Amino acid sequence: MIVRRAWIGALALGVLVAGLHERAAAFPVDGDQTTLPPKTELNEDALDKPREVFHSELAGGKSYMINLGDLAFNSPGVLGGVARQAGVSCGTCHVNGAGNAKLFMPKMSTRPGNFDTTGPLFNPKADNQVLDPVRIPSLRGARYLAPYGFDGRMPSLRDFVHNVIVNEFAGPEPSPGTLDAIVAYIQDIDFLPNPSLGPGGRLVGKINESERRGEALFMKPFPHDPSLSCAGCHTPSGVFSDHLQHDIGSGGLFKTPTLRNADFNAPYFHDGRFDSYDQVVAHFDRVFDLGLSTQDQRDLVAYLTAVGDGTQPYEHDGASATLKEINGFTAVLGAAIPAGDKDIVALAVDTIGNELRELTEQYPDHKNTSVTGGEQQRVMARSALKDLVLTLRRIDMAVADGRTADAAADYKNYRYLMAAAVPALLAGAQPWSLFNPAVHDSHYAALRQVMQSRHMSH
Amino acid sequence: MIGVRTAAGLMLLALGIGLRAAIAAPIDDAAEQYRPYMIEGIGQALAGARDLRERIAVHDLAGAKKAWISARAGWERSEVFTAGFVPELDAEIDAWPNAVSGFHAVEAKLFGAGSTDALADVDELVRHLDSLHGKLYGMTLSPQGLLDGTVRLAYEVGEGKADGGESRISGTSLDDMRNNVAGIGFAYRTIFGPALGAADTRLAEAVDARIRQLEVIVAAPDLPHVDIPALRRASEELVVTLQSASAKLGLQRPTLEANLK
Repeated sequence: MIVRRAWIGALALGVLVAGLHERAAAFPVDGDQTTLPPKTELNEDALDKPREVFHSELAGGKSYMINLGDLAFNSPGVLGGVARQAGVSCGTCHVNGAGNAKLFMPKMSTRPGNFDTTGPLFNPKADNQVLDPVRIPSLRGARYLAPYGFDGRMPSLRDFVHNVIVNEFAGPEPSPGTLDAIVAYIQDIDFLPNPSLGPGGRLVGKINESERRGEALFMKPFPHDPSLSCAGCHTPSGVFSDHLQHDIGSGGLFKTPTLRNADFNAPYFHDGRFDSYDQVVAHFDRVFDLGLSTQDQRDLVAYLTAVGDGTQPYEHDGASATLKEINGFTAVLGAAIPAGDKDIVALAVDTIGNELRELTEQYPDHKNTSVTGGEQQRVMARSALKDLVLTLRRIDMAVADGRTADAAADYKNYRYLMAAAVPALLAGAQPWSLFNPAVHDSHYAALRQVMQSRHMSH
Repeated sequence: MIGVRTAAGLMLLALGIGLRAAIAAPIDDAAEQYRPYMIEGIGQALAGARDLRERIAVHDLAGAKKAWISARAGWERSEVFTAGFVPELDAEIDAWPNAVSGFHAVEAKLFGAGSTDALADVDELVRHLDSLHGKLYGMTLSPQGLLDGTVRLAYEVGEGKADGGESRISGTSLDDMRNNVAGIGFAYRTIFGPALGAADTRLAEAVDARIRQLEVIVAAPDLPHVDIPALRRASEELVVTLQSASAKLGLQRPTLEANLK
């Protein structure tokens, strides 16, 4: 997902949500009521976002279903109720299909990167009265990772998604088509490639000695129970998971997580209790009495790091990346307008319009003190994006009125502008936009200063 | 990639901006009827700012906050015309976020730091508002400029300020929205409503319905209860409807940004 920025959180909820990858989302209305825990960053601080690799792009392009699923995944309306009001979508937690190690919601998280799916905020009926958050997982390679849930309780991804929407978030019953589309989208998200992994999951290429020793330790039976080994559960010949539940001394039975791309999946364990592989290895050493030397532990960490790597894990969150995602969403309209599908058109217009509004805010207006110069370029960029938002709204109104031909004409116009004019105007304004790190830093430093002045006074 | 100038030309062509309709409507006089409202709105902002200066002088923090809120209300309902007609003063008075002068600089001290050490800032605010107030009596009021401003503010209202908005420190962003909507409603009903009603009743009713919808949405008790998606939709539908109305009023289709050259 593009997303977004979020000055923290669902203000609208009266809570503080840090790490929303949405440009607009939030700052606490009552910022003095809450402080950010250590290590939490404002999402705006990050100009990089996780790279999303689609399986279907290797085969010629994404289908309508995958684009629709991507759109729905990033639409707060799908989750309904509180989430819709707060602008929270599936993509808020699973940014571009990866996890969101920075997300923190008071009363729902105990640390950045975890979230209580049975907490009071989104569905009071699902509240189990216990603060028991679970790690927000990456969805990369999800099609290989059944069963689903931190405890592997659901064999079907479709059932799992349905449960998240209807029970965890108290959202409206999704149409079968929307549900199928979300599943198609999730199943299309690939692992990032890792050139160090060869056949059977063995390390290949330029492997150092520590990694090699770590690989041997990983395969070696545990000293006090030779039926066990790291590789016994994290099966290298598969996806470094045996798809089963185990008790590893962390408080219950939990599904074996994949180690693929795990370098980017911290925090670790079902509740996100560990920040690093060092802590994970130390836990296993202690619980299973492995007798690892300091060097052994280093070697295992080196091995895990090599296995968990991925090519280009992040990409710059610039206007072109945002437009690319928006164009994927927009493709849905190409089919929904001729079909007169009011619901899908409304979903697309609301979601894309929201993205475009958020993108507009990357080009500061004349009142913004964080940037000087390029005023005309900024004005043109903002104006172009606003015109797109309104063109989409005209499409929505026309389809709702049954004026499909008018909607099709506006859609053609929209596509025409998105093909060349809009990218050129955004590129022209880039030096004075928040995509420029200097402007970005200046802007958010000013916002932080403003918020801190409030915190200091209370 | 094409050049910025070419791209801008393509945008104008594709969106039909700049094409003035042949049918003219008698709204020049109606624009003049809006002037007293402008004077009153900025007059309230100025009176509030002067009161604020007096409160600060005696270190009355609670009174100063009240005066700031009153001044702010007058300002927000005037935003229909400030960005388009007096962009320099608009930027001075409403600079954000790291403001060295204007409302938000004072807001940070009063509501943020809890300090009345803001006399110089308030002096500056009074000076700028006074200057603006003086200009209003002789300013040429073009219906096109006022329609542009109404449309821009209608779009801005749809941004929702769910993140706390500009006035997040004082917690008065919902008041900002209400005053914005009040400003939009008054400008439309005073300047454009009668002419549009005569030219196209259905379109006039459609505009009215969207303004009423906005009024209902921002009447929510607090910001968390504002239906942001509905607000955004109503705002955009209002803008689209007003853009359609521009031709009926004999005006150009409004642009979405002030100072677009």
